[in-house]
Amino acid sequence: MKLHTKTNIYTIIATLLLFSFGIFIVYQLILSRLDREVDKQLLIVKSNVIKELDEVAAPNKLFSNQGYSFYIKKIPTQTIFDNQFIEYSEKNPNTRDINHETIKRSLRFQTTPKKQSYDVTISVSLTERNRIGDYIALVVIVFLLISIFVLFIVNRLISTFIWSPFYDTLSKIKTWNIKKNEHLVFKPTNIDEFHLLNDTVKDLTQQIQADYHNLKEFTENVSHEAQTPLSIISSKLELLMQETNYNEKQHKLLGQTYHATKRLYKLNEGLILLTRIENKQFAEIHSINLALAIEEKIEVLEDFIEAKTIKIEKILNTQTVKEVNSVLLTILLNNLLINAIKYNLEKEGLIKITLDEDFFSIENTSFQDKIDKQMLFNRFNKNSISGSLGLGLSLIKKIVDFYNWQITYTYKEGIHKFKIYM
Amino acid sequence: MKIFVIEDEKSLREDIVEYLSENYYKCDVAANIQIALQKLKDNTYDCALIDIGLPDGSGIEIIEYIKNHNPGMGVIMITAKNALEDKLESLKIGADDYLTKPFHLSELNARIYSLMRRRNFGGKNALSFDGLEIDTSEKKVIANGFGLQLTKKEYDILVYLASNPTHLITKEALAENIWGDKADMATSFDFVYSQIKNLKKKLNEANLKKYIKVVYGLGYKFME
Repeated sequence: MKLHTKTNIYTIIATLLLFSFGIFIVYQLILSRLDREVDKQLLIVKSNVIKELDEVAAPNKLFSNQGYSFYIKKIPTQTIFDNQFIEYSEKNPNTRDINHETIKRSLRFQTTPKKQSYDVTISVSLTERNRIGDYIALVVIVFLLISIFVLFIVNRLISTFIWSPFYDTLSKIKTWNIKKNEHLVFKPTNIDEFHLLNDTVKDLTQQIQADYHNLKEFTENVSHEAQTPLSIISSKLELLMQETNYNEKQHKLLGQTYHATKRLYKLNEGLILLTRIENKQFAEIHSINLALAIEEKIEVLEDFIEAKTIKIEKILNTQTVKEVNSVLLTILLNNLLINAIKYNLEKEGLIKITLDEDFFSIENTSFQDKIDKQMLFNRFNKNSISGSLGLGLSLIKKIVDFYNWQITYTYKEGIHKFKIYM
Repeated sequence: MKIFVIEDEKSLREDIVEYLSENYYKCDVAANIQIALQKLKDNTYDCALIDIGLPDGSGIEIIEYIKNHNPGMGVIMITAKNALEDKLESLKIGADDYLTKPFHLSELNARIYSLMRRRNFGGKNALSFDGLEIDTSEKKVIANGFGLQLTKKEYDILVYLASNPTHLITKEALAENIWGDKADMATSFDFVYSQIKNLKKKLNEANLKKYIKVVYGLGYKFME
């Protein structure tokens, strides 16, 4: 839910509650005010009645006018001395509707003008009063609805306006890429909190970027600087091996040292390659027919394929041409194929290669179980069998990312499948 | 034959000189472009090994100088970079061959050997030993007067070994010579082993048992 939607909802709920309460109070106040007005009128009528009773002996139904109705009764003695206001409802005799009732207010009093006592009830219909009350209530409700609507719109406009620097910051952080050496520039704002937020984010990203670059530079420098000493070690070892008169133990030690040095060099080479891809040092592109490239790579690896008696199945669309860097493509195909061969069954394995306009897939049988997807493209996912460090898949992933392609891995019934969507 | 080694890393330079001297080459050295150009003015060499990354600039400058002033000289470029694209680049510049660091000294020797043969004998030459002749232009092997039927891989291995007589060639160097950077596959050493086995068997049948010697745990030697 969006921030200003949420704020708006709360504001509207609060306004609604407040207004409803207000309307109720106002309605009650108006009604009681109107009641007092009616009572005042009734008292005026009362004084008229008393005056009339004084002059006329039998005043029954004499006063039936002005919307008031009277009920006058002779009583032996006066028992009530104050005014009694009563509100009641009366069934309207003019309509057939049973539920239709008229609310009336009446004033009952007793008076004794000349020896004779009277009990008088003056009543008046409250229909008019209620109508005024309802009308006022309606006006207030309409006003309330209009206010809420306007409030909603105004709120929305204000929050969109006020929060706009925030959303700008948010979208900039979202698209920020640590690998691109770009500094965040935010929309200027005069709201203190946003200003603080922007400054903090700016500082943080600069710090992260600096750390990232230091780390990258360190890796680059280490792997670059390691090359020469490694070259020296391996050439020294080679010269050392030229000496004769070694015993078997010395031979073995020498051989193991040499082999380990070679492995270290390979690893270093892989790391340098990864950094070079990251640094976009393979920008040059050529139109390459992928089917031909695949055939070529298979041919180079034929010895290993034959040694393991692997059967190769190919379904290649010979029309597939991509604009790629030939070095990167070679690394990608070699790594995929070498993995498929290296981790294949020792005897009678299968490799199936499919190529079409927009995808390339390689499936192989293997002595390995399903690979953990989380670990799949991590650097140094060490494989238990070969002892070689798993830079291969990491390189594949890096190249796939470099071209904005997608790679998926699936495992089904002993078949490992890597599929690249191009 | 005189080889000019232009390499700034002292230790590596010494190793190259030592290994090449054992193979009866005379070596001269330079550690930077300035000295290299000076020496090139005063001397003539059959082949130059040029490291591209030199302290005072790119070795390409030297290659250009050689191509302009002494086009007959062979040039092998050495680079620390490990990319294939440099190979095309180096050949475009005018280098005859190209090696990336780290290289096997035996590989370097084989490259020089092959380059010198191409240059000096117009590609027609043979490696001759007692009872064994390898015609590198025709890619034929004559053993005690009879043609030896070798597969391409067996032939390549034999030439590589014979280019470095009496030197120990590691199985890593052999694997890399055959498959390049794909050589780290676990099976490649087994493959080298089986190729050598077949090669030895064929030489044995031609009564040339003495040539290939296995050095336990390390590699192979071609005995003269």
